[in-house]
Amino acid sequence: MSSKKEPELQQIELIKLSLPNLTQLKKQLDQEISLFQESMQTLKIAQTKYSDSQEALKKISPEVKDTRIMVPLTGSMFVRGTFKDTKRVLVDVGTGYYLKIGMDDARDFFKRKVAFVTEQMEKIQKLGMERSKAREAVMAVMEAKIAAQINSQKTVAAT
Amino acid sequence: MEELQNKLQTELDKLKDVGKQYNNAVSQRQVLDGQLHENMGVKQELELLKSDGEVYKMIGPVLVKQELNEAKQNVCKRIDYITAELKRMDDLISTLDAEQDQQREKLAKLQQQFQLQQTKAAKS
Repeated sequence: MSSKKEPELQQIELIKLSLPNLTQLKKQLDQEISLFQESMQTLKIAQTKYSDSQEALKKISPEVKDTRIMVPLTGSMFVRGTFKDTKRVLVDVGTGYYLKIGMDDARDFFKRKVAFVTEQMEKIQKLGMERSKAREAVMAVMEAKIAAQINSQKTVAAT
Repeated sequence: MEELQNKLQTELDKLKDVGKQYNNAVSQRQVLDGQLHENMGVKQELELLKSDGEVYKMIGPVLVKQELNEAKQNVCKRIDYITAELKRMDDLISTLDAEQDQQREKLAKLQQQFQLQQTKAAKS
């Protein structure tokens, strides 16, 4: 769509821009790229969290009912417990809300979340690539401009 | 000459100040945007909840059971509030943006004047 046209448009304008403007543009692009990288990392963490929950969910089946387990209270302290309810789990859906839902619904929930996060990651990756390309273009024009400036200075010095 | 330099400095400080405000507003907007998305997600999940599902709300360290309808209403209220805040932020950002442009222009003019005087001073 519109984002696809952008690089071409920028390409045309780049040559007309002055060096300070180009530097500013490059700085902006750098900022955007690092922002995207940051978002990617956050999304990756979210993705692993959801898929970990998905994995944990698989282990809970009606057969494990009344199985004795150790429940972690902190990272280094456990209490003994038994599985009482193997039909429903409590799921954090955000902003402090937790839903008690059946296993199938929980599975769907995590599937949906993983799909959503993956989709966002793909989007950001695409945007990041676009910005990287634009950055390369800006760098190329900047180098050409600097080279031209040095050349003209040399000729001025020679005459 | 000195007067102009002082003026230049104050205008520059003003620009920096506006820039700071602008950045602040933008980051606040981002936070709000994130909250809106989170609430939208919660709303969606609440809509999908089957009749045998239960809703709990974390209040401090405890989970409190809540009625589904009440939870839905609360989330909708949150969304309304956040959307209003977002609009307010957007308005603020656009005014700050305009202010920044204005300040930049002012500064550019002053700079020109300054340079002009400098060259004049150098010649005389």
